[in-house]
Amino acid sequence: MSKKLIIDDTEIEVEDGITLLQACEQAGAEIPRFCYHERLSIAGNCRMCLVEVKGAPKPIASCAQTVNELRPNPDGSPNVILTKSALVKKAREGVMEFLLINHPLDCPICDQGGECDLQDQAMAYGVGGSRYVENKRAVEEKYLGPLIRTFMTRCIHCTRCVRFMTEVAGVDELGLIGRGEDAEITTYLEHGMLSELSANVNDLCPVGALTHRPWSNTARPWELRKTETIDVMDAVGSNIRVDSRGPEVMRILPRNNDSVNEEWISDKTRHVWDGLKTQRLDQPYVRRGGKLRPATWEEALGVVTQKLAQTEASRIGVIAGDLCGAEEMFALKSLMDRMGVANVDCRAAHEAFDPSLPRSSYLFNTTIEGIDDADAILLVGTNPRLEAPILNARIRKRYLKGGCEIALVGAQVPLTYRYEHLGTGPAALSELADGKHAFAEILSKAKAPMVIVGAGAYRRFDGEAVMALAARIARAAGKDKAADWRVFNVLHTAAARVAGLDLGFVPGKGGLDTAGMLEFAKHDGLEVLYLLGADEFDMPPPDDVFVIYQGSHGDAGAHRADVILPGSAYTEKSATYANTEGRVQLGLKAVFAPGEAKEDWAILRALSAQLGHTLPFDNLTELRAAMYKQAPQLQRIDDVTPATEDPCSALIAREGKVSDTPFAEVISDFYLTNPIARASRVMAQLSALKAAAATDARVTPFGTDEASVQYQMSPEA
Amino acid sequence: MSILSEIFSWWGGNTWGTRFTIWKIASQVGEDEFGNRYYLQRSGVGPLGKPRRFVVYKDLADASKVPAEWHGWLHYTVDDLPDENYKPRAWQKPHKMNMTGTGKAYRPKGSILRPQKRERATGDYKAWKPE
Repeated sequence: MSKKLIIDDTEIEVEDGITLLQACEQAGAEIPRFCYHERLSIAGNCRMCLVEVKGAPKPIASCAQTVNELRPNPDGSPNVILTKSALVKKAREGVMEFLLINHPLDCPICDQGGECDLQDQAMAYGVGGSRYVENKRAVEEKYLGPLIRTFMTRCIHCTRCVRFMTEVAGVDELGLIGRGEDAEITTYLEHGMLSELSANVNDLCPVGALTHRPWSNTARPWELRKTETIDVMDAVGSNIRVDSRGPEVMRILPRNNDSVNEEWISDKTRHVWDGLKTQRLDQPYVRRGGKLRPATWEEALGVVTQKLAQTEASRIGVIAGDLCGAEEMFALKSLMDRMGVANVDCRAAHEAFDPSLPRSSYLFNTTIEGIDDADAILLVGTNPRLEAPILNARIRKRYLKGGCEIALVGAQVPLTYRYEHLGTGPAALSELADGKHAFAEILSKAKAPMVIVGAGAYRRFDGEAVMALAARIARAAGKDKAADWRVFNVLHTAAARVAGLDLGFVPGKGGLDTAGMLEFAKHDGLEVLYLLGADEFDMPPPDDVFVIYQGSHGDAGAHRADVILPGSAYTEKSATYANTEGRVQLGLKAVFAPGEAKEDWAILRALSAQLGHTLPFDNLTELRAAMYKQAPQLQRIDDVTPATEDPCSALIAREGKVSDTPFAEVISDFYLTNPIARASRVMAQLSALKAAAATDARVTPFGTDEASVQYQMSPEA
Repeated sequence: MSILSEIFSWWGGNTWGTRFTIWKIASQVGEDEFGNRYYLQRSGVGPLGKPRRFVVYKDLADASKVPAEWHGWLHYTVDDLPDENYKPRAWQKPHKMNMTGTGKAYRPKGSILRPQKRERATGDYKAWKPE
């Protein structure tokens, strides 16, 4: 069914059920709005989107009326809608005048200036002066945590922030209390907002009522250079825009990508920005007499070359970290191949991935967009809320639509949707695999089931066996389903992992993996350990092994290192990242690396020349050409190469004995998961606030619906 | 102030004309800590209906050189001359003339005329230091 409308003299046919505002946009008419937002529910309280409908007695709020609700004309002719008539203009001017009665005229000192919806729309619909002589309404500032700065007198009560927190973030932290002039946005108890998505309300706020506290009053939007790039804080690969001024990153904002992050980013993605300016490695260091001394590039590379050339290939180990781009991993792998080094690994200790199996065995095959179609989800050993907050919001979006059963095997964590807790360890998984559990039936009856395996399940001694169990569940659930529906999913926690596996950055023949290398180092077997931004494990004790650290931030690796080669952070280099779905995305360089730091692939290229194993590329284009030859899927930028092979049988073939140990929670502190975040002051503040909130029972920022219900009913509260 | 400059210049200080007129119509009533001298009209009244009050500055003529206690008398706020009984308030600072335009002028924080250490600028980063 479709409906015919005449909008500003153009006749168009629109589908049923859409709103007048959407219909007008399809007809090419621009409708001003404050409260309406595509991804939130409709509130209809700003009245800015008024349009004239012929035959209707009054102007109509177009966001809150569907095309089917229009009264049909007596002669059956299509409804006529005017968006530019004198009546519409006058009505909108009236609305604007009302909004401005209490809105302070402080644009020159307002952080929103230059990107403010009210400012923009006042250019079109603002009247020259005010007819009101009364005092403006004053509202007390609210404390909303370290990320959000409030100027509540500027609030126009669009309630976008309230709807976002309730619907997308899934926590009832914000609300609107009072009526009319006394209406206020508040957290009720004045505690800091602690949802991992809370800073998105600053983007949503159409005025300057909620602005970003960490970078407040440091820059105006028109003086910033915008670079569209990719985030590396988690494996979702959120699309971001890095705004920089001169050599400095001023802020990080989300970019719209419906198949990845829609238009949200997590607080860590956004506010890790100040970590890019602290603890930077800006010059090479060489350890002499037990102390790290500043050195030149020639000296540092000379020491590394000498050490690598002297050492037997079997006594050299290479570990790549969580934030590396594909380019430097490819360069390092190529160099190590030429030197005959087999001890290379990009995985954390005991991660059960194997690139020799089909690629789909380590990918989120359903794709993030595919979550919207799922109707039964089994989470295995994962806490998506901390491992991938954006993906978690996507699951919540699916959950809110209804008709989706969600269950979890693993630690019982507060998620933003109701789920059935099936057990904490592999025992429950075995039951499911054997079809003994009721949820196995739900999965097999579902049209589009998903099994999501998280780090708690695959990162353990018996990871392969656990993956095999999950694959058995996935295969049983996937029977008689649509041919292109993939059930088995892996949720990664590191941005570098999928690209690393695609490039085969795993031990060669007879090589040791990460755990093996660290163990070998303890027994004086390993002589040289090359860390490419790898910090997330216990460093080998001093004097056992010669550690070369190449990275951007001074963290565990740099402290232990014998030679430090300063590299660049993700905003300072152009690099390819593959997210957990295997979606390949290209990050661009926003600013230059500080001091003498260089782009990582260039460091490795220079090192290879000194070692006499010169890598066959002199620039990024040549490097990428060589890389695409080895891993062709990496050249499909912004695209997912669909998994053709089913991973389940290959994974099941590796079945083994599982232990009874419950699945661990891999992320203990959401805000401090990588060297950049650990260097960030904002992240430290958030971490401390969350720790304090955890001990204060009154504040349940990470609580579920159930938790807050329990709080209301508990007698001691 | 030399006799010559008193005769030939009128900027900066009193002229011999001022000195003569005040000598003719007024008599000295006091002198402050800076050496400025204060005079009161001997007979008749000024435009305010009261005997006129004068100050003859020592050296440079600058109205901000008059300390608080004499300022009150000079501007007809009080009629009593400040004598030995005058006690400044606890919060009163020693009087200082307005230094604007001189080398001792006040320069606010951040002024380029004030010697200072460069503050952290935008674009600076904090480098990691071993140990």
